[in-house]
Amino acid sequence: MDFQLTQEQQMLKDSARRFLEDNCAFEARGSVIGNGGFDVGHWNTFAELGWLGMSLPEEYGGLGGSAIETALLMEEFGRVLCIEPYWAVAVLAAQTIVASGDQDKAGSILPALVAGEACPVVAHGEPDARGMLSYVTTSAVPAGPGNWTLKGNKSMVIGGNVADRFIVSARTSGAPSDQTGITLFLVDRSVPGVKLHDVRLIDNRWCADIDLADVQVAEADVLGTVGGGYAALDTGHAHATVGLCAEAVGVMEKALWITRDYLKTRKQFGVTLSSFQALQHRMSEMLIELELSRGMVHKALSTMNASPEVRQLALSAAKVHVGRSGKFVCGQSIQLHGGIGVTEEYVIGHHFKRMTTIEYALGSSHFHLEQLAAMERKRVA
Amino acid sequence: MNFDIDPADVAFREEVRAFLRESLPADIAERNKRGFHFLRDDMREWTKILNRKGWSGPNWPSEWGGPGWSPVRQFIFEDECFMAGAPWIDTAGFKMIGPVIMSFGSEEMKREFGPRILNGDVFWGQGFSEPNAGSDLGSLTTRAVREGDEYVINGRKIWTSYVESADVIFMLVKTDPEAKQRGISMLLVDKNAPGITIRPIIDIGEGYSLNEVFFDDVRTPVKYLVGEEGKGWSYAKHLLDLERAFSAEWPRNKRNLEQLRAMAGRARAGGERLIDSPGFAARLAQLDVDLQALEWLTLRALYERKGGNTLPVGSLLKVRGSELLQKIGEMQVEALGDYGAYFYDDPHATPAGDMNWPPGPDYAPGVVADYMYRRATTVYGGANEVQRTIIARSFLEL
Ligand SMILES: Cc1cc2nc3c(=O)[nH]c(=O)nc-3n(C[C@H](O)[C@H](O)[C@H](O)COP(=O)(O)OP(=O)(O)OC[C@H]3O[C@@H](n4cnc5c(N)ncnc54)[C@H](O)[C@@H]3O)c2cc1C
Ligand SMILES: Cc1cc2nc3c(=O)[nH]c(=O)nc-3n(C[C@H](O)[C@H](O)[C@H](O)COP(=O)(O)OP(=O)(O)OC[C@H]3O[C@@H](n4cnc5c(N)ncnc54)[C@H](O)[C@@H]3O)c2cc1C
Repeated sequence: MDFQLTQEQQMLKDSARRFLEDNCAFEARGSVIGNGGFDVGHWNTFAELGWLGMSLPEEYGGLGGSAIETALLMEEFGRVLCIEPYWAVAVLAAQTIVASGDQDKAGSILPALVAGEACPVVAHGEPDARGMLSYVTTSAVPAGPGNWTLKGNKSMVIGGNVADRFIVSARTSGAPSDQTGITLFLVDRSVPGVKLHDVRLIDNRWCADIDLADVQVAEADVLGTVGGGYAALDTGHAHATVGLCAEAVGVMEKALWITRDYLKTRKQFGVTLSSFQALQHRMSEMLIELELSRGMVHKALSTMNASPEVRQLALSAAKVHVGRSGKFVCGQSIQLHGGIGVTEEYVIGHHFKRMTTIEYALGSSHFHLEQLAAMERKRVA
Repeated sequence: MNFDIDPADVAFREEVRAFLRESLPADIAERNKRGFHFLRDDMREWTKILNRKGWSGPNWPSEWGGPGWSPVRQFIFEDECFMAGAPWIDTAGFKMIGPVIMSFGSEEMKREFGPRILNGDVFWGQGFSEPNAGSDLGSLTTRAVREGDEYVINGRKIWTSYVESADVIFMLVKTDPEAKQRGISMLLVDKNAPGITIRPIIDIGEGYSLNEVFFDDVRTPVKYLVGEEGKGWSYAKHLLDLERAFSAEWPRNKRNLEQLRAMAGRARAGGERLIDSPGFAARLAQLDVDLQALEWLTLRALYERKGGNTLPVGSLLKVRGSELLQKIGEMQVEALGDYGAYFYDDPHATPAGDMNWPPGPDYAPGVVADYMYRRATTVYGGANEVQRTIIARSFLEL
């Protein structure tokens, strides 16, 4: 074990921090939000810096990094509350494509993704799934030889407003919660029957709700194998979950230091707020929670190549911890700022908002705690 | 001790319910059950309806023109009104400045404002906080200098809720810059007086109710000095005590918990209702336990008020009530699932009163806006840390 970053990793972290603080800082977000959370210039730079392919195999034009590199970048995105859909495209979609084992499609899409020219996102979530990855009610019904008709609704497809195509999960057999019978289809955004409803989220990122009304797809649009989509989704989401948890650590850490600095300058009762022991202890608790969450991200990263079960337990545990710590750290950051903390103009409330959306993405801490509780029952039985 | 409920109070609850069924306009109720900021017009209309019935100012004694209800009836009335979706009556007028005027103001001031408050004809902004005087109100610097029969005010107030639609601001000013708390006076100022500039502040729920108010040679007649010069601090403390007695926000907590229950019965997760998840149900039950404790401490506070209790019960209630509001809000957002992340615009803020809302259940709009805004409950009315210090000092004698 070695918790030290390699020289390359340190360079990645440093250059990411520099670029993001200079170009994607909170103060500069206004126009990007107006553009649907996307800035072509930023995206091209992400591509030039190699970030879009950072954790992708070299055969697809990537740099051959691992989930660790993803986590390092995501933490930096978290610090500046970056709203660009890096996570949706370069982590969730890219890793799902790799994990599908469909080398032809990976070979045709991923190099373009790495170059910033293709922008696929995963359209998997449904309103009632709430973290249950196998929950799919969108259906794919055979329509003549080699053709399928897709029907259903997908919710909160992050980056869906700017994506050029979707990786749509649909049920080709089985019941809503079965792991078997889920098939992934590549669907162009302009295909008839695809209706997009763009939505701005409370953290100022953008997503789309998607209605699929009798969308015609062909055999050639299947990503991976018919009925075998779950494993790809599982691995794609594993990368996405650990990335999200790492982002949360960045969101929390920056909130903590902003608050520390504020306490050292804000004066009430003739002294700085930092001189109140009640607040010093609160800040200490915040730091403890933050660093324990970081520990959970490390633990999760250590299981990325383990069996899906082992990996999932670590990811659930990380999500539970990050959910709790994030609410505490960012909630208390607002509290210690007083009135200024609840204003839209000031940055700290946006850390809280981003933490709120992280908490409920890919399964809330409650959902993941229940998964762990079920595991406990098995252990004891 | 005797915890039996007086049958007359039970009958009173029925009477209130019947009145609400008949008199509370449905559109007002619908708007107020959502988490967006209330509309001043709704509040005005509702206050007038109450006044026609003689029920305006539920916490006012009959000599002030209120109904003169016992504490428990006030409690029942607020509970029923809130559950039915009635707007809050103007807290600043009825629970803060109104009682101060009626207790310390001149006869002329009482005559001028008492009936107008009761009829919803005057609304108030509370101008206490300043950029450098929040928790430490005593260090405010806004100055008022007497010139003949007028005070001339210069300075800046912040966080002044709803002042944009207020008629009068009651404010704390320094009339003697040398003395600290003894130099503070309470003044009433016409919101539309020349020299007043209002800068809106948007909160993290993307709602608008907060403001910064600039005073540039603003004039107000000396008759608008509340009580005596230099005594503003003690009036303010009186008023903040009154505010805190209601700060458990019991009715709001109760209604929000009811709403959460309704959501948990309708929202589905992985094919089952949210309420059928034992973990979710257990956390809901825990919130209900907290709510019950809050109810009974609130009731005790209301009964003991007359006897003059020593427990700093307002501070106790403030701390726990505000925390509970945040916890219930958090579970409401959780119950929304994906839709907890969607931004919903306030439909009542648009002229048409109707918006193309993002998709989601009908109960979604307003939930997150309120959750975000309520991060402030543990800050406003005296930050919880300050309340804890008050408890430690005043009761535990630490
Ligand atoms: C089971 C046990 C085994 C021990 N073994 C050893 C041993 O082997 N060798 C040894 O040298 N000592 C030992 N100790 C002593 C131990 O180190 C002391 O009890 C400890 O340092 C606290 O000192 P105190 O008991 O005088 O409490 P105090 O210093 O009087 O503190 C009492 C409480 O006040 C609070 N407090 C104190 N200071 C602050 C502050 N600045 N801010 C906020 N709160 C504060 C804390 O809540 C603290 O618990 C042992 C104690 C116990 C209980
Ligand atoms: C939504 C909202 C509505 C409001 N409405 C009004 C209004 O209508 N009229 C009005 O006059 N004011 C209003 N206020 C102002 C409110 O009363 C102040 O925000 C509050 O008193 C805190 O002051 P501050 O914001 O300056 O925070 P600060 O005083 O700077 O305090 C910041 C934080 O530091 C901590 N802290 C402060 N002092 C201490 C201490 N002694 N010990 C330990 N910790 C401490 C607390 O956590 C506090 O939250 C409103 C505020 C909000 C957020």
